[in-house]
Amino acid sequence: MNTTDTELHPAEFAQAAEAAIARAMTQTDPRAMLADLAQAGLCGVMAAPEDGGLGLDLAFALPIAKAAGRLRLPLPLAEHMLLAHAFAATPHAAALAAGDALGSIAWHGSVQTGRVRLDRGPADWVLVADGAGATLLDMRNAPAAAKTVQSLLDPDHPQIWIALDQAPVLAQLDAAAWTALQRQAHLLLAQTVHGAAEGALQAAADYMATRVQFGRALSAKQAVRHHLARMRLLQEVSHAAIHRAMTRDEFGAMRDARPVLAGAIQNAVFVTEKAIHLHGGMGFTWELPLHRNLRMVRKFDAAFGSLARDVGRTFIQSASV
Amino acid sequence: MVDARSDAPDHTRPIPDPSAGAAVYRQHARDWLAANLPDFMRTDSLNWREATLQEHCDWEAALYRAGLAGMTWPKAYGGHGLTLREHLAVNKEIGALPMPESANSIGKELAGPIIMTVGTEEQKTAFLPAILRMQEIWCQGFSEPDAGSDLARLRTKAVQEGGHWRINGQKIWTSGAAKAQYCLLLTRTGSVEDRHRGLLMFAVPMQTPGIRVVPITSIDGKQSFAEVFFDDVIVPDSARLGAPDEGWSAAIRVLSIERATNRMYRPWRFACELRQMIAACQSDAQLRAALEDGDVQRQIGELVCAVDGLKGLVEWTVDCLMQGDAIGARGSLTKLYWSECHQRFAGLALALMAQVGPHSSREAQRAQQVFTHTYLHARAETIYAGTTEVQLDVIAQRILNLPRDTA
Repeated sequence: MNTTDTELHPAEFAQAAEAAIARAMTQTDPRAMLADLAQAGLCGVMAAPEDGGLGLDLAFALPIAKAAGRLRLPLPLAEHMLLAHAFAATPHAAALAAGDALGSIAWHGSVQTGRVRLDRGPADWVLVADGAGATLLDMRNAPAAAKTVQSLLDPDHPQIWIALDQAPVLAQLDAAAWTALQRQAHLLLAQTVHGAAEGALQAAADYMATRVQFGRALSAKQAVRHHLARMRLLQEVSHAAIHRAMTRDEFGAMRDARPVLAGAIQNAVFVTEKAIHLHGGMGFTWELPLHRNLRMVRKFDAAFGSLARDVGRTFIQSASV
Repeated sequence: MVDARSDAPDHTRPIPDPSAGAAVYRQHARDWLAANLPDFMRTDSLNWREATLQEHCDWEAALYRAGLAGMTWPKAYGGHGLTLREHLAVNKEIGALPMPESANSIGKELAGPIIMTVGTEEQKTAFLPAILRMQEIWCQGFSEPDAGSDLARLRTKAVQEGGHWRINGQKIWTSGAAKAQYCLLLTRTGSVEDRHRGLLMFAVPMQTPGIRVVPITSIDGKQSFAEVFFDDVIVPDSARLGAPDEGWSAAIRVLSIERATNRMYRPWRFACELRQMIAACQSDAQLRAALEDGDVQRQIGELVCAVDGLKGLVEWTVDCLMQGDAIGARGSLTKLYWSECHQRFAGLALALMAQVGPHSSREAQRAQQVFTHTYLHARAETIYAGTTEVQLDVIAQRILNLPRDTA
């Protein structure tokens, strides 16, 4: 969708989105949180107006995804926004835009394996790869025995294994639609993990500016400054890669989004681990929330850890032609 | 193939009208390069040989005539008067082929832009077209034995004597000094205590009496840089580039932009080198097996991600400049990232080629030559044009706004 000077721009949208997510996060119940996000228009930002959405394009969803990462929103908002768009003109899109059901995408497992893992929080409806495209399954009435909570990496927001046995099929996406959806998801998730790392970097830079040792702020010491500079560099790289993938090349060809997500995850892991390191003993405490950024980033790594190898394999194949 | 030695414009493929768009210009670059790059200049060719200086000059002059160099320079000074958008489009195609680096990068990327900023009309007319036509090669006389990253400690002295200047001092790490016709020379008019005040820049002909070039053998066994001694070198006042301080402050501005925009082809060239490495592996049964290794695939994938990020930095910079936005210290981000990215690639390529021997395919043996040189040469990349540590300081100070280290 094109915007004119009198219309909303993504940059302006970012502030409103961040405020809305912060408000929603005052809720403790995920459904109440979702309802607040829907009320603010975030769930249906990309959904068609006929489905109760705002009908905006991916550029408007990007700042929402970044804010969700920065604020550590414990819901799969990026996936939810995309599903509300992908299932346009179905009752599912309207329900997702209204926040009546929480949608997600299983990035680990498939219909064929019969078991998937949700790395980004709970979900009512889950889109699962099915070999051809993807199938939207209703998990609301899944028996408790079908779910296994894996809380080692994140006890507060655990990963959830789900057996797909007899889960009702709600809708399906064909191969082309699934491929297009994955590309958009890679960009939104890259932005989310970039946001999580940005929050960690900001916390580290602020702390280093105020923490005084041997009569000087820590950020005046070269070793610390260089750590922070490297972190800033990698954040700028992730930002630039996402920005680039949103545009087409001179010939109108779309850019591959997989290296963008794989790169953003690698960069975020470095930035977040270093942010914890720079906080010294404080960084190792439960009280300082940086471990939550790290858990979030590492769950991304768990979901997409093989992506860099896939990118490498694809490149080798293309170079061998 | 065009006659690269001809002074006549290359009409075999007309230079497109820029209003046709960057795609048309990029296609023009692709077609022209495919038709004209000599096989012996391709680093992946079994027919590769070191080009002579004349062959380098002929090739780059042909590139210029085809509209693929001097793109953003004004037409009045020999340029093509285009924007960074077309410049970037062409650079993507230049990067996509394994062709030699410019023999006159100092002229095109440093001396030219500085002359354009502070030079007199006579200087612009005299120097700029000659740089693009590869008639005059330049070297950079900035670093000194006691003034590398810290140019405030520069000692080479210029004293005005009537209508001319007398220059005494020593420069070091001067790339291309032995082949250059001109030196972009940084001197000081006062004392070392003046630090960054009183710095004065000259365009000094390298044939001027009193200049002595002593080559230095570098890590790769080549003599591509040198010490340059200036003993009572007399140059006319017309060789001065700007007033004292003016030339240097212009150089700082130019350097900050150049650091972000020079050799924009790098990420596309790195991708080209990755493909070259993979093709060499595919040519040899033993190396081919390495490509099946998951860890090698991951390392290649991570490099592809890094190259993708580098393309993002380059294109973001062009977007900013095209919109008239200041890029500030962004050049330091790009410089730091490309230099370390390339060193990572070179390390992987060297490791993969370690198995190559007389039993290996000819392509693999050629790749081993190329990538051993690449690995060694890449050691310089985190040193020149501002070391890694200088770039980190710039990012800390000017992008993160952290306080200076005062210890």
